[in-house]
Amino acid sequence: MVSKSQRVLPGFGLALGYTLVYLSLLILLPLGGMILRTAELGFGQVMDIALSERSLAAFRVTFGASLLAAMINAFFGLIVAWVLVRYPFPGKRFVDALVDLPFALPTAVAGITLATLYAGNGWLGRYIEPLGFKVAYTPWGIVVALTFITLPFVVRTLQPVIEDIEIEVEEAAASLGASRWLTFRRIIFPAISPALLTGFALAFARAVGEYGSVIFIAGNLPLISEITPLLIISKLEQYDVLGATSLAVVMLALSFVLLLCVNVLQWWTANRHKNTEPLEVAAGRAGGAQ
Amino acid sequence: MSIEIRNIAKRFGNFVALDNINLDIPTGELVALLGPSGCGKTTLLRIIAGMETADQGEILFSGAEATHLHARDRNVGFVFQHYALFRHMTVFENVAFGLRVKPRKERPNEAEIKRRVMELLGLVQLDWLADRYPSQLSGGQRQRIALARALAVEPKVLLLDEPFGALDTKVRKELRRWLRRLHDDMHISSVFVTHDQEEALEVADRVVVMNHGKIEQIGSPDEVYSSPASPFVYQFLGNVNVFHSRVQGGYAEVERSADSAGKATAFVRPHDIDIALQALEGGLPATVQHVHPIGPVVRIELLHNSEIVEVELSRERHEALLLAVGQAVWFRPRQVRVFGADQQPVAVPEKQAFLF
Repeated sequence: MVSKSQRVLPGFGLALGYTLVYLSLLILLPLGGMILRTAELGFGQVMDIALSERSLAAFRVTFGASLLAAMINAFFGLIVAWVLVRYPFPGKRFVDALVDLPFALPTAVAGITLATLYAGNGWLGRYIEPLGFKVAYTPWGIVVALTFITLPFVVRTLQPVIEDIEIEVEEAAASLGASRWLTFRRIIFPAISPALLTGFALAFARAVGEYGSVIFIAGNLPLISEITPLLIISKLEQYDVLGATSLAVVMLALSFVLLLCVNVLQWWTANRHKNTEPLEVAAGRAGGAQ
Repeated sequence: MSIEIRNIAKRFGNFVALDNINLDIPTGELVALLGPSGCGKTTLLRIIAGMETADQGEILFSGAEATHLHARDRNVGFVFQHYALFRHMTVFENVAFGLRVKPRKERPNEAEIKRRVMELLGLVQLDWLADRYPSQLSGGQRQRIALARALAVEPKVLLLDEPFGALDTKVRKELRRWLRRLHDDMHISSVFVTHDQEEALEVADRVVVMNHGKIEQIGSPDEVYSSPASPFVYQFLGNVNVFHSRVQGGYAEVERSADSAGKATAFVRPHDIDIALQALEGGLPATVQHVHPIGPVVRIELLHNSEIVEVELSRERHEALLLAVGQAVWFRPRQVRVFGADQQPVAVPEKQAFLF
């Protein structure tokens, strides 16, 4: 007789079925439709569209700026999260609420605001441009917009993890003679790095798909500051639906591969510290000592 | 290394955690800081370790000023109640941490680190767990690893904050004895914090009883148990019966109305009371209310004038008496300690302290 293992939580079948249906409707169906539509073109044609000079430039700008923005946020977002968790200061709740604003603000508003700020006659632009940094209407503008939009991802994923770090662990490191820097590098950073990678991946994914804020500050010059989402829209405006879906599919594939890499890396950092062999086995191997 | 604590005070807001503490811990001694929670014992330990700064006073290590030394420069080993092991490191790396973070000049080479760590793991009898992660160990094993980690940097002082508080009774007893042996082998000074009087009395050379941020008594385990310096120490260390009385003519007159200046309280340990079936000279009548055999002793609750008196008899004595619930008996304290209204001990004659 085959014994069915008992689960503590009921409804596994129902919950899993629901999850699969929900995900299919929400994600697989639209994406599948897009891929099917693209399949009307041959692989060669899709590649021709994707590898055209203008598309390649757009991909480079999109992924490059997104990567840069995610990296900037991984660094500064970590500092923001650290300060918000660790130090009490007046107005902390206010600052904490500020972090979420990029989520709430219509992205177009953010784009227009940033463009006005960094334009040659804007509040910031008029001081920066004479120094030789042109931000508005260049790829740097894209990086600025994406950094603004994706800040909450890193901060919000890191905060609970930093809260979880026991102060005692740091005190233990200090009593063993470790400096602040060594304690951070050897104790704190390994503890938060999986969450940091998650925040980085989320920020990156969001940045790749961002459209609204970028188009107002980028200047949208083909080959220089044109992002892929904008290229897709302009193809649609020319009724080139197949061209648009081709670009979308390639973008999707690239994003998927990149996110998969990040996930694997994250899984590895999170699990490299877990030895899954049960203790009893180890005890047996050690000759039953203790 | 000896530790001298001079006039240390610490407040958290309006709460006085430590109130002018003075304490000397000579080299090689194992001292227990004993007290109820909130009495300041952990704060004092953390100030010694440099994890907390005192509002006033100073700490001297071997006679040298150490009040403002950073925790990392104090060369103390610290063991936390909840272990505080590095979760993402193996047991080996946890113990090796203190050696690996040494400045390059002092850092031992890899072979030497391996030798030292395995030696320490052998000392705590867990060398077979070197490649495990803390999450795979039991509480007792984790605490032993925490100890090995603290000892790796060869500290001159070992500080332990309720080290066995989170463990079950059997493991706790085992680790207690093992800590005592370890302390004797390592020739270091150790201070450990506990709220468990049995633990303090069993392990320590000296017990420091604390309450409300003050030291109530310092003495050997025998001293603090058999001649407590204050009513608090009496009540904190073991069970006790309290009799209201007044002191007159050198005697504690139990149960006389305490109207005059001689108002006092008499303390009697349950095992210092005799029970007899017939009238005792200087004894009091009572009825037996409960009989609880607890392992080697039998605890008896007597009812006397609507007050409960706790008595502990040995099994043999109980078998000779064969007390039954409801039975009328006589009891008489063998030994009594009287504290006056000012909480100071009052001298009473050894024999027949009581006048009824």
